[in-house]
This record gives sequence, structure tokens and C-alpha cells, in this order.
Amino acid sequence: MHEIRKHKSDLLILFATLGLMALGLIVIYAIGPMRANVLNNTYGANYDSNFFFLGQLRSVALSLVAFFAAFKLIPYKYLKKIAKPLIIVALVLCGILWVLSKTESALIKCELGECRWFNFGGLSFQPAEFLKLALVIYLADFLARKKEEGTIGKKEFWLPLSVICGLSLLLVVVAQGDLGTGVALIAIIFGMLLIAGVSAKQYILMLILILAMAVGSVAMFPHRMERVDAWLATLSGSESTDSTYHIENAMLAIGTGGLFGVGVGNSVQATGYLPESINDSVFAIMGETFGFIGLFLIILVFGVILMRMLKVADHTTDQGNKFFVVGVFSWTLAQVVVNIMAMTSLVPVTGITLPLLSYGGTSMVFIAFAIGEVCQLSCYTSREVNKNEDISSRRGIRGAHHTGGRRNS
Amino acid sequence: MPRIKILKNILWLALAVIIVRLFFIQIIEHDTWLAKAEKQHTLLENIVAKRGEIYMMDDGEPVAVVLNQTTYQIIIDPLVTEKEEITRVLNTYAKDYIVANLDEVYNIEGLRYSIVAKNVPRDIANKIAEENLPAVWLKKNNQRVYPEGEMASELLGFVNADGLGQYGVEGSLNKLLAGKDGLIKTTADINKVALSIGDNNIKIPAEDGKNVVLSVDRGLQKGVEELTIDAINSTDATNASVVIMDPNNGKVLSMANLPNYDPGNYGDVKDASAYINYTTESPYEPASVCKSFAFSAAINEGVMDSETTYFNQGYEIIDGWKIKNATQRDSIYGTINMKTALYWSLNTGSIYALKLLGGNPDQITQSGREKLYDYYYNKFRLGQATGIELIEAEGYIPDPNEGWGRDSVYANMTFGQNLGLTMIQTATAFSAVINGGTYRTPTIIEGILENGEVKPYEFGEKIEDKILSDGTSAMMRDMLLNNRSYKVRMGVDEEGYAIGGKSGTAQVIVDGAYDDTMNETIGSYIGFVGPEGELPKYVIMVKMWGEGQHLDGEIAINLFDSLSNYIINYFKIKPKA
Repeated sequence: MHEIRKHKSDLLILFATLGLMALGLIVIYAIGPMRANVLNNTYGANYDSNFFFLGQLRSVALSLVAFFAAFKLIPYKYLKKIAKPLIIVALVLCGILWVLSKTESALIKCELGECRWFNFGGLSFQPAEFLKLALVIYLADFLARKKEEGTIGKKEFWLPLSVICGLSLLLVVVAQGDLGTGVALIAIIFGMLLIAGVSAKQYILMLILILAMAVGSVAMFPHRMERVDAWLATLSGSESTDSTYHIENAMLAIGTGGLFGVGVGNSVQATGYLPESINDSVFAIMGETFGFIGLFLIILVFGVILMRMLKVADHTTDQGNKFFVVGVFSWTLAQVVVNIMAMTSLVPVTGITLPLLSYGGTSMVFIAFAIGEVCQLSCYTSREVNKNEDISSRRGIRGAHHTGGRRNS
Repeated sequence: MPRIKILKNILWLALAVIIVRLFFIQIIEHDTWLAKAEKQHTLLENIVAKRGEIYMMDDGEPVAVVLNQTTYQIIIDPLVTEKEEITRVLNTYAKDYIVANLDEVYNIEGLRYSIVAKNVPRDIANKIAEENLPAVWLKKNNQRVYPEGEMASELLGFVNADGLGQYGVEGSLNKLLAGKDGLIKTTADINKVALSIGDNNIKIPAEDGKNVVLSVDRGLQKGVEELTIDAINSTDATNASVVIMDPNNGKVLSMANLPNYDPGNYGDVKDASAYINYTTESPYEPASVCKSFAFSAAINEGVMDSETTYFNQGYEIIDGWKIKNATQRDSIYGTINMKTALYWSLNTGSIYALKLLGGNPDQITQSGREKLYDYYYNKFRLGQATGIELIEAEGYIPDPNEGWGRDSVYANMTFGQNLGLTMIQTATAFSAVINGGTYRTPTIIEGILENGEVKPYEFGEKIEDKILSDGTSAMMRDMLLNNRSYKVRMGVDEEGYAIGGKSGTAQVIVDGAYDDTMNETIGSYIGFVGPEGELPKYVIMVKMWGEGQHLDGEIAINLFDSLSNYIINYFKIKPKA
């Protein structure tokens, strides 16, 4: 294997990430006061009109710190070394959350009956987000080791994998009732296993197993079944109920946007009609605000980030690093696709944030950190041409290689 | 296939599906969603016009008798508003206005809307608003208040819970008083608060209702009602109505129906008949009061005067019916003149006038009936709505030719039976009899109050029709004055004033025929007041009745007597020196 020299990072990922954060900030700036107004009028809360914008500003600032720290300060190889402690800490935190949530502790923050946050004097922290990152780091390291040992697909591979993954899913989906994070975790696991080289037969078996579990988990919990019913109801266009309200209003926001959108600050759906307008439903508000063209561009930007991640993965020679990048790719892809599909009634609502755009500190900080690490790893791609690489990407890498010589990127 | 490529394909596929889906929702279905959004976001709200207030005149100045007051309803969303909080706030500030049992309200599952207090005054509503409780709304209501209490309630009417004027002036002039509501069409947030977003917002301002000034004199009305209540209390009557008008311009100065009800609590009334303004809404048989009209007709036709004589035998037989005089005394049998006939209110006298109208002193003829009909219906406009600005009944005048027994029907009509007239019709026609012969549409309206000034306002065509000659009118005044000559002798009517009048005692139809036992009768009296030697200034009509009570004209005369003396005092009418 060649000695990979450090070269310039993938600037497209960098700028696309920063661009999305800025866009999220603008949208929250426009609809944050409406959200505050709705909460104040309906629930007698006392939010300042700038409350949500300032919150998002803080999240973005923290995320930028996390992003650049990951990009420049924390070499991925250090993370690799603490992969096991990280996953253990993440699982323990989730476990503590579960226990504390049974005791109505002040350390726990609950919203709409779901207790998913630690609360430290106004600062909240969602351990499930940390778990996603920790799982990606752990699996990358684990898969690389197993690959080197040549034990992928064997018993000593499946056993620890099942324990870690099963525990993670248990603590998130069952303990916290957080199906959204569950979907993201499953995507991470499946994406990484695919690249790690699990045999097609085992992979398909795994898919069948997880599908069976998914159906079981939906059928077991009435509120999930309700969401599926609601989704089917909106698909079939039958009568509105309280359950279909969320999806209908998301589609209504998107539909009223038309080609060009109503413009920033003119969203009506954000004035209380659309639930979760600043968090999980922010994509719908963007659809209303920016129209089809705006959404197309936003999806394009996500597409660029995801494509470049795949490219980085493709050109990373170190197996562990490659798995890590694929993990972050799967994580991002799952959140983007599941969130948008829920808003457009292609899948049932699961309660998942739109990366980099939704209001919510923890999720943005961790995904920014993960993307930062990917940017870091993009400095170490090989100029070796892979079999499936096309012309344009080859040109891109060659360029990066030359400029990388300055060592000051 | 390299496995990275599988991920790449998944990525492209997912994004492509999303783009197609978005294209479908945003471009193809765009109009459908816009329509749904319009339905969901548009707030249509009436801007309620301020209802006009009602005034009466007093000493030449308008004074309010019906005012507006803004009150509030307190509405909560029991799912959001804390029960303990709202209970505390209501008990602290608005205990007297609570209309709902909060325990019950909070027991109804899924209830999102409940009116918990009503008629809350503005200052208390402000205090409740300052508490800033979640999901508590204040809804503004306009309420009528009545500074004069029950006074003239049947004339004024009331405003029901829907803001609609009912009965009285409130009912008849509802459109004018109500004004025209404005409209706000605006994009609103989920709490129905208007947003500045959107360019389809419409605001049509409300046109406030007009302040109506009645021609009724407040002080006079008050005095009239007190005297009328005294009259009811001192007789067997249960009800009495009074109309006082200026015969020279048709303005109604007082319109009383006793007993009154409380318009502020109109719902407490047990029988809806309490709302009725009998002076305009209830046709009846004013009886001998109408002899004035039959006499006027014959005199004006030149076939009769006050000295014309006829032979009174105490009764007449017409169409096989024996029509008797109410007064039977020896001194008036034989040949008497019309003045005497009117004084003693002899039915034979008014029947004789009808015979003379037809050109045959011996019998009633078709031409006589037609002439009487012409005078009653076309000239005095009896049996048709007068056009006063109130809810009116038409009453009826029988056809002179159609139907059986026309002669007896028309004989009865000369002394005010077999027809249906309202008091306002009667008083207006009587005004024409004594004012020099001019019929004028009666009015209850002085004008519209705008910027502190009373401005004239035309509600409809005002008729001014000279129907009788000056001479006829003067002769009628003389005879009507003569009717009360004994009142002057008794000292009831003061010297120096011209006070004339005519009583009426109407039999009531029981089981389809006039009840000759006279067990139940309605007493009426109509007369005029003024200084001696001048045209009368006021016409007063009184009606008293009570179910199963024999109330003759004499009882009504007593009330008229006190009213005529009151009015002389009230308007400080100077006697002829």
C-alpha cells in the first residue's frame, strides 16, 4: 500500500455543510418568533421572540466548534483508540437515562411524554445522538479488525456485533421509544456491514430479521401503529383525524410553496398549524418558504455531501477509515431520506431530525462532528483509481493532490 | 457490483423518488393545496357595527333611553386552562358573572370550548386578561342598558341574544339601529390572530347604526305611565294603553302600554303578549269613539249638521237585528238633534247619519254604505297601516257590498263595531277630525342624532291630505266640546281650556257573536286638549281592558281626565284669558 500523503480536504463537503447550517439559521430566524408566539398564546409560555433563533445560533456555534475540532484538532486515529470506551459510555448514558426516566428526576427532560434528554441547568443533551456517533466509531474499528482477522461472517463476528447493536437498539427504540434514532442506527449498521463484506446470503437474512423486528415493534406499540394508520390514511386520501393532522399539514406547507415558495418570513403553516415546525418538520416549512426550486437545491446540496462522502470512502485505503466514512454516510442519508419521506407522506412519521437544518442542539453537534472527521479523512484519500471511479472524480482527486502540496489547507 | 456503488444507487434512487414526489406535491397538486390552505388559514370575522342608541325628547333636548354597554364573555379551553387557576380568577373578580359549573365543565371529556362567565364589565374583564391564563379568551358583547328602567318598554322593544332588535322601535327600526357589520378577511395563525402575511386580506369597516330620537317626550311618558298605572290599580282593568299625539303634525308624544316589562331581562316575561305595543299592533273595536267619524262624514257631505233632527225610539231593527242604544232614558226619546245624539252616544243617531249619507232618511242604502266606506277607509285611512315607524297591524273595514247583512254591518260600523282598528289609526283619524280636517301620517320619530344635533330623517312617505272642510272640523269640535260640558260644570275641566272627547264601550265577541250581556267590554276614550278658542294642541286616546271585566267608557274617561289635566300642567298650556 502506498504511503498516503496529506492533501487538501474535500471543500465541497465543508462548504455544503456550512451552507446548510446557515440556511437553517435563516429559517429559524424567520419562524422562531412564530413558534414562540404560538407556545405563548396556546400554552401560556413566556418565550422571547428571539428565543429559538438564539438557541439555534448557539447550536450552530457549538456545531462549528465540533466540526472544526473534528476536522483539524482530533485526529481520527485517536477516536479509533477510544472506540470501546466511547460506545460503553454512550450505552451507559442511555441506560442511566432509562433508569432516571422512571424516577421523574430533575436531571431528565421530557417533551410530549418522551424522555430523551439529560438536563443540566438549561442545557440539554440527547445521549442517543452520542450513541450514533459512538456506534459508527466502534463499528468502524470492530469491522476493520474482523476484516483483518478474516472473521467477517463467522461466529466470533456475529456474537459481539449482535450484542452491541442489539443493546443500542434496545436502549433507544424500546427504552426511549425513539424510532427515528432506531432507524438511523439500523441504517448505520446495514451500511457499514454492506461495505465490510458480509456475504449476500447473510446480509439478506439480516434484512429479513430486522424487517420482522420492525413489524413486531410497530405492532407492539399502539402509538406507532397509529402513525402507520395515519400514514396509510393520508396515502389513501381518507378522512382527516388527529393522527393525520401532522402529515397533512406538512404536505399542505410543501404544497402551498409551489415552484418558488412564499418567501422567507411569509410562512403561515409555521404560525402554529404545523406541529414541530422548527424541528422535525422544518423541511416542510422550507418547502413552503422556498418552493420546489428551493427544496431541489437543498436536496442537491445534501446529495453533494453524500456523494462526496462516498467518494472519500471509495478512495480511502485504510479499511477502518473507510467504514467510518460509510457509517457517517449511512447515518446522514437515513436521517435526510426518512425525514423528507415522512414529510411527503412516503413513509410514516418516525420523529427524526433533518441533519444540520432542524432546531436541536445535540443532533447538530454530533453530526457536525462526524462530518468534520470525514473532512479530515478526505485529506488522506488515495489517488489510486478504483475500478468504478468515473472521469470527473479522477480529475477532482488529481486537483486535490496537487494543491495539497502546500500543506496549509 | 462494487458495494460502494450499491450505496450510491440507493442514494440516487432515494433522492430521485423524493424529487419526483416533491414535484408532484408542489407543482401538480399545488392548486389543491392552496385551496386547502386558504380554507385553513383564512379568518372571516364580522366587525360588529355599534348599534344606535335610542333617545326621547325632554324639554326640547334629546335624552338617551336606550344605551350600549360593552360586556365580555369569558371562554376557556378546559384541556389547556388549569381548573384551579381559572376557578381562583373567576372567584376573585367575576363571581357574580359565572354561568358554568366548572366541575361539570372539566368533567366533559375532550371539551375544548366553554363559556364560563357572561356579561362581565370591561374593568373586570381587563383584570382577568391581566392574569394571562393560558387559553382564556374574552369575547366582546354589546349589551343594551335602559336608564329609564321599564319605561315605554313595549314602545322600545329589546335586543335579543343574537343582536337582533325585537318588538317596538328596536324591532321596527332594527336595520337603521343595527348599522352594517364590517368584514375582516385575513390570514390568521392557529389562535385566530390576524397575520400581516398574505395579500388577499380584506377589511370592510363597519357602518355604525344611527342614533334614533323619538318624538316621545320623556317626562310626559313618565307621568302618563304613572297615572295609567294608578288607573289600572283603582279599577278592574288589567291593561291600559295610551297614545298622545300632536294633531297638527302627527307626532306621537307619548305611547304607553301598561303594565311594562323589564327590557333588560326580557327573558323573564311569562307571556309574550307583554311585549306587544297594543297601540299599533292590536286592532280592536273602539266602539262609540267612531261616531265622530260617521258624524264627520255626514256633515262633510253636507247632508247633516249638529242641529239636524231625527226620531229616536231607542232602537233600530236592521236586517232583522235589533240594535239598541246603550242609554235609555225618557228625556231623549222622540225628536232630538244630532248634538244630543252624540252627547248621549246614541247608536240610532249614528245610524241616522249613515242613512243621510245614502240620501234616504228612512233606510240604509248602498250609496250610503259606499260613502261611509270611502270616508272610513280612503279618507280616515282606517283599517290600513298608518305608516308610523313601528310594527303595525292593519285591522279591517268590511266591504260595503260583499257579504250578507251589509246594512247591519255598516250600522254597527257607525258606532265602531264590526271593524278592527288600531289605536294609532283611530287617534290619527280623530286628529284630522279636530285639526281643521287634514289627515297627517303619524310619526314617532323626531330625527337622527348626529354629532349632538337632531337631524330630520325621512322614513317613508308622509301623507298630508285635507279630507274634511274647516267647517266640518269646527262643528265636530263644538259637538265634542259639548260632550264634556258636564265636566266643566263638575270642575274636572278647567275654565279657559277647550277639552272635548268621545267615549266608547265595545262589546267583545264571544263564541262568534257580540256578547249582549256586556260581561266583558273594552273601555275607550278619545279627546283633545288646547286653550279655548284655538286649534287643539293634543289628542289623547285611552284604552282599558281586562279579561272578563266590564270596563266601560266611563272608566276610560276618568283616566283621560287625569291625563288632560296632567298635560295642561306639563306643557304649561295657558288658558284663554
